Amino acid sequence: MIKRRTLLRAAAAASAATAATTGCTRGGGALEVAVVWSGGELARFRDVVRGYPEPVRVISAGDNIDALLRARDRAGARPDVAILPRPGLVAGYARDGWLEPLDSELGERYAPAWTELITVDGVLYGAWVKAAHKSLFWHLPSVLTDPPGSWSDLLAMVESRAAGGGPAPLAIGAADGWVLTDWLENLLASFDDQRLYQDLAAGKPLWDASQVRGALAALARMWSVPGAFPGGGRRALLTQNEESVIQVVASRDACTVFEGDFVAGVARQFQDEAPRTFRFPAFAGRQPLVVGGDAAVVLRGSAGGRDLVRWLAGSDAFRPWIASGGYLSPNRLVPLGFYPAGQPRDLAAEVREPVDGLRFDLSDQLPGSFTGFDGQGVWKILQDFFAAVTTPRADLRSAVDDTVAQLNATAKKATA
Amino acid sequence: MNPERGVLLGETVVLDDVGPARRGRAYPAIGTTTALLPPGAPRPGGLVHWPVRRTGDASATADGEFVGLEHFRTALSDDGWSVLGRTLLWAMVVPAVVTVLGFVLAAASRRSSSGRIVTLILVAPIALPLVVTGVTFRLLYDPDPERGTATWLTGALWLGPELITIALMSAFVWAWVGLAVLVFRAAFDALPLALADAVRAYGGTRLDVFRDARWRPLLRRTVAIVFALVALATSRTFDLILVMAPGSVIDEAMVAPVRIWQTSSGTVTGPSAALGVLWLAVVLLGMLAAALWTRQAWPPPTPIAPARGTGSEWRAPRLVRRLLPPAAAIWWAIPLVVLVATSLHAPRDAATRGWWTGPIGLASYRALFEGGGLARSLALTAALAAVVTGTVLVVALLAAYALAWLSPPGAQAAGILLLGAAVVPVQVIAGPVTEVLDRAGLAGTFVGLALVHVALGVPFAVLVLRNALADVPMARVRQARLAGRREWSVLARLAPATVPAVVAVCVLEFVQVWNDFVVGLHFGGPDAVPLGLALYGQTRQFVSNSGLVAAGSVVASVLPLALVIAFRRQVVGGLVSGAQK
Repeated sequence: MIKRRTLLRAAAAASAATAATTGCTRGGGALEVAVVWSGGELARFRDVVRGYPEPVRVISAGDNIDALLRARDRAGARPDVAILPRPGLVAGYARDGWLEPLDSELGERYAPAWTELITVDGVLYGAWVKAAHKSLFWHLPSVLTDPPGSWSDLLAMVESRAAGGGPAPLAIGAADGWVLTDWLENLLASFDDQRLYQDLAAGKPLWDASQVRGALAALARMWSVPGAFPGGGRRALLTQNEESVIQVVASRDACTVFEGDFVAGVARQFQDEAPRTFRFPAFAGRQPLVVGGDAAVVLRGSAGGRDLVRWLAGSDAFRPWIASGGYLSPNRLVPLGFYPAGQPRDLAAEVREPVDGLRFDLSDQLPGSFTGFDGQGVWKILQDFFAAVTTPRADLRSAVDDTVAQLNATAKKATA
Repeated sequence: MNPERGVLLGETVVLDDVGPARRGRAYPAIGTTTALLPPGAPRPGGLVHWPVRRTGDASATADGEFVGLEHFRTALSDDGWSVLGRTLLWAMVVPAVVTVLGFVLAAASRRSSSGRIVTLILVAPIALPLVVTGVTFRLLYDPDPERGTATWLTGALWLGPELITIALMSAFVWAWVGLAVLVFRAAFDALPLALADAVRAYGGTRLDVFRDARWRPLLRRTVAIVFALVALATSRTFDLILVMAPGSVIDEAMVAPVRIWQTSSGTVTGPSAALGVLWLAVVLLGMLAAALWTRQAWPPPTPIAPARGTGSEWRAPRLVRRLLPPAAAIWWAIPLVVLVATSLHAPRDAATRGWWTGPIGLASYRALFEGGGLARSLALTAALAAVVTGTVLVVALLAAYALAWLSPPGAQAAGILLLGAAVVPVQVIAGPVTEVLDRAGLAGTFVGLALVHVALGVPFAVLVLRNALADVPMARVRQARLAGRREWSVLARLAPATVPAVVAVCVLEFVQVWNDFVVGLHFGGPDAVPLGLALYGQTRQFVSNSGLVAAGSVVASVLPLALVIAFRRQVVGGLVSGAQK
């Protein structure tokens, strides 16, 4: 249940958890919003709601917003609005009758694929307020001059740089299981068959499909290149995501690192040269775009929550956050001109109008214990896979077989 | 976190006092007892004993239906047995190492020229929050040889799957050896010297002297006490594992408390309850064995004024005395130096280069206090520790008086219940306690946290204070009874005699709450983020935050360190009296 992006968000120090209590105290009638953000992102969101005409109290649920909402529900003190990081939670709460339905007109502010994710039995229950772009490689232009444009180019780059003796070609935060699932998701999102992606996300045990095997085999091929990671595979398994960014932008032990648009925030603290990005190259038919997002919902019985959500889904609400960086909106009403020209504007344009289908972060949608946490679920399975293929002279084929079997078994267990 | 409540010598008292009240039978006063006990009863009752029963029920039922051993099978499937095995390994190996090291260091540093400073360095880690110990050793074991000193020296990946448990154990040993040294010191000082002379006079060899004049009268028992104490405390590895083990190796480090926390996520689930029941059973069996073992000891020696410098005084060989203590002190100081040095680097430098290089400054401290989050956690934790300490003291003093001198009919049962409450690990009862707090609308609040801390703190405090009150000389009690008309005023008159014990309880309870992580993690919320939880939040992406984490750790350690060092005499004095009996 613990959200991966929250782990990233825990970055900013003590303020991480404690900043939760800053700002307005709950005066009479202040609206309450529960969010998963902490640290810098929490501060930005506070800037956002300061623009709302009524007082708003923001509470940070930290890792586990589901636990917070359930505890508040039992105590009879539900917040007015919650901002949820997983569409699965929206659907679950809607079926439990916890949520107020929203006007379907709100849904028109997003591309149909986005709206569909938070529509339950034809009724809209949420409004997207933030998006994440998860198909980017980051590199310093001075270290890597010509970014690879295809999967085979990337593989060739990895092989030549690994043999070259300079910085390793790839940094990877394999200690954080979600980094590995994001890799796999980008390969799966590269297939034209969107059906398979959706079915896997729903928890169906279809992991022995040839596409999945192909994707795992391709990952095994690239990860097993000797010298692919600084310090080797066993060292990579002890590297967390933010450290992998440092390996590229500060210590320059590696040429590139893959992860979402939020890498910019980490890089900013350590870089002395601004990193650039290139897209995760197409493995199969299409260039992958994996997105994440946060949706605002109104808890049943709230008087003012509906107006607040409508306001958050307006064009101007998030302008302060856009201006300070690190924010992409899935909302089509937000003028692209609000974003600085260049990369942020391009990414925003891309996530809000996904071409031929939306691939929402797959591991975030997996049911029950299948969705990962440290040492559990899909995170652990892919870490075992990573450990197996990065062992010298590994048997890649049997590693793929084992992993497929594990994924299927866990899927069956989680949906049983 | 319950069993380790005796950060210092308390547990020895606990082990010593499972029996009926030994004194005070002459003054039965059932009425007063029933008036004094209740304040202490509901809290441990509602927040410890009922949750234990609830956990027991949950381990054998699903939706109210009896399911037999199904949950136990689920809990032990996959790697359940190895988790339980690793938990036991911790409870056997770590206490053995701590006991041996503590014994040797206590013998070597005893009355040596550098003894005092060495003791100070060895004892300092006891005062630190275990989260800080975890941070310190994760810095030391950083897999990057440019930052991790241990990696640089040995070339091994200490945080990797093969060595992670050894890395965790080393951190635990570092933190607990000081306690063993203190206990053994006290035991050595109490050795009956005349006995050694007697053995020698009858032609006994050195071995005979050790066996008959040292081991059997006292040391065997002290060893058992230290071993049991540390074994019980190994449930605290929870803090260390969560801070030190990267996500990819947490399975290789997995022990019962972490697995229960992971699989229950704050509610009551069958398999996690089953694992909790198994674990609790092992803990209780272990405690029983320790209690029996320590009870077989030689009759307690009558207090002997510690004789100094006599010929028969036991001392370690001179070379050992000269070299071992300074070497140990240096070895023990290295982690502290690493922590402080890291905190003195700017966040960027701390994340990218070694602690021994680069410019020194306070940038990490400045960044730490930006936004005021940490300041709020500090204030909240200080308030929490003060409120809890005051409440525990009042509640425990009343109950202790009743148990020590009024000999209520259920004194023995109450003692056993208290002892039981003092050894239940928090993780086992977290789900049911959350249910109780939810129902009261106190989940995630200051009051909720305070209640849990009080419930966990009272049993231990009662046992220590009861012991101190029972030690008051009979004549003095009679005097107080003659002078005071009501039990309240008798208690007030007796209070000064218990000052060392009261100070000890206050300091220990305050430090306990201040250093807490487990209670904060399980029962804190957005509006109540204690220090330990705030520090843990910083450690989630460790390397990139290492400057802030180190600075936060130093800030969190200052107060407990100062308290324990300033009051070490009272703390040791107040509790050692119990350890010696």
